[in-house]
Amino acid sequence: MSELSVNHLLGIKYLNKKDIKLIFETADHFKEVINRPIKKVPSLRDITIANLFFENSTRTKLSFELAEKRLSADVLNFSSAQSSVKKGETLIDTVNNILSMKVDMVVMRHPNPGAGVFLSKHVKASIINAGDGAHEHPTQALLDSYSIREKLGEVKGKKIVIVGDILHSRVALSNIFALQLQGAEVMVCGPKTLLPKYIGKLGVKVETDLRKALNWCDVANMLRVQNERMDISYFPSTREYTQQFGVTKALLNSLDKKITIMHPGPINRGVEITSDVADSDQAIILDQVQNGVAVRMAVIYLLASKIKQ
Amino acid sequence: MNILIKSATIIDSKSEFHNSTQDILIEKGTITAIAKSIPNPGKYREIQFDNLHISQGWFDSSVSFGEPGFEERDTIANGLKTAAASGFTAVAMNANSHPVIDSNSNITFVNAKAQNHIVNLLPIGALTVESKGEDLAELFDMKSAGAVAFYDYKKSISNPNLMKIALQYASNFDGLICAFPQENKIAGRGVMNENITSTTLGLKGIPAIAEELQIARDIFLLEYTGGKLHIPTISTAKSVDLIREAKKKKLDITCSVAIHNLYFTDAVLNDFNTHFKVLPPLRIQSDVDALIEGLKDGTIDMVTSDHNPIDVEHKKVEFDHAKYGTIGLESAFGALNSLFTIKKTIDVLTKGKTRFGLENTPINIGNKADLALFNPDTKYTFSKTDIISKSKNAIFEGETLKGKVYGIISNNKISINS
Repeated sequence: MSELSVNHLLGIKYLNKKDIKLIFETADHFKEVINRPIKKVPSLRDITIANLFFENSTRTKLSFELAEKRLSADVLNFSSAQSSVKKGETLIDTVNNILSMKVDMVVMRHPNPGAGVFLSKHVKASIINAGDGAHEHPTQALLDSYSIREKLGEVKGKKIVIVGDILHSRVALSNIFALQLQGAEVMVCGPKTLLPKYIGKLGVKVETDLRKALNWCDVANMLRVQNERMDISYFPSTREYTQQFGVTKALLNSLDKKITIMHPGPINRGVEITSDVADSDQAIILDQVQNGVAVRMAVIYLLASKIKQ
Repeated sequence: MNILIKSATIIDSKSEFHNSTQDILIEKGTITAIAKSIPNPGKYREIQFDNLHISQGWFDSSVSFGEPGFEERDTIANGLKTAAASGFTAVAMNANSHPVIDSNSNITFVNAKAQNHIVNLLPIGALTVESKGEDLAELFDMKSAGAVAFYDYKKSISNPNLMKIALQYASNFDGLICAFPQENKIAGRGVMNENITSTTLGLKGIPAIAEELQIARDIFLLEYTGGKLHIPTISTAKSVDLIREAKKKKLDITCSVAIHNLYFTDAVLNDFNTHFKVLPPLRIQSDVDALIEGLKDGTIDMVTSDHNPIDVEHKKVEFDHAKYGTIGLESAFGALNSLFTIKKTIDVLTKGKTRFGLENTPINIGNKADLALFNPDTKYTFSKTDIISKSKNAIFEGETLKGKVYGIISNNKISINS
């Protein structure tokens, strides 16, 4: 039987092409399962998973929890927007305390880049990174690619532009790695202040004109501006941002072709996309959410089967 | 103390015996004879080692020993022991303790701790009160107590007018001002060099320009004020250019580079290892090349280990939360000697002395014996067992280094590693 090349999912950059193929094929199966009248399988009855969210999250947390429950795993939830470090306990101690209650797998969101990598070196559990600072958000990138594959048949050869706040985005980075691994062409588009200076070295095209970017692409992945991560204003006002980088239906209609619109959520309606775009038939935003559960089931299932060995 | 060193190769470009193998007789701390073969005049202690080389004792212009206040990191006593075992006969100790060394009495405390030691400890006083960057500390008073320079360790002086006044004021009594090269607003919340590696890791970057802007500013100020300026630990190619130009203008400016900035690039950070979290951050290969070039052509005056013990509680944490710094005394010689010829290695380990008020003591008859004893050819993997510091945050752990230290002779004392 095929298996993943890794024991943790810390980032897309630690995966290979075969891993992604395996995850998608497994997700295909689970997608069929979650559309059955009985949406649950008994695969992980002997597995306990702790969801540790050291940063706010709604959809990712729900999506993981649902994925775990659909697989019949026992689930433990821990949310603390205030990092345990502030209370004086180290991350390793926090997690080891939870692991001593016989937990097999940890799904962790954390504000610091590399927190998952760090943890994987110091604790005995399989770690799934559910977002670590501006580093990676691998399951989001996987579900994004999975949704492109579902909509356009394949990812290879497709042109995808990621629009918005690339500087503070783990979604952008994971998407770039995932899309390139599958043979897609990637462009990033946004105000120069929100594009990392050296992003071009990753082999992506860099564009600051939204219309040009949209005319180039097959798919536009619209990111939210992460005000909460900004130490200073990177642009003068939301209004001015929207004038340059907001997608409206009129703009979409004026393009040479019909492109697909994605968004990892949460949407700021009227900022990066208008409501008529978000609700149009070009948007696959809710498909992404549904696919998120199937893809996360696949990742958890595949990592759990390595624990069982 | 009377010693007879047997067949040692002398590496000292200022000595008439440079590059020759000699016996050296030391009586009461002074070199009294150097010759091909010297018989033992009495019951003198004989020093004989495999492939023994000697040079002037080495000097490090930036070490931190924790004490007072951070004894969990290290103590002055153990720090000096580490220096001795690593070939250093003099170290300038930073003021980054608690309390900050910012007064005459603090300098006196430090001096008392190091009294009668084989290693000379040169205290650096803080430039501003508590190193807060607001008001000048009592520089003259500290100098009277023995402070060799004034430096807010790793804290740049944001206020240009304060730097202007510091340079002007210290020039009254020939004081040496050290200015950490970082423009804090540009550096922002950066934790490593800004480039492709920081982008890939999602870590905030410190752009090279943060350092260069500050150096350019301070050179402008120095040109206006006169005075003596030392820029500790530069790390970028353009910084080397800026200082090269300033020296052409005959400004009284010197600079140092941390040994790890000559050895590593930011690529080593790829798995978030906090041992590599240092300030200034590890840069890219073109910077490393320019730093090495700058050292070779004399633009960079001296190297430093930038030795800074940090307890494991502040290193074994998420990268963003980890403290900057690495220990470096123990690995300094082996690392440099893997990069440069032995002559250049010794040159950069001894050249900074006069800037910090020490005399050069070439290996000649009649001079004080201030010596490092070593074997430049031993290759070994630097590991935890090579660490003497209380904290084990060694950036060079696991590296293959070349050259081991046997010990030092200084202040009419001898210290030989077991």
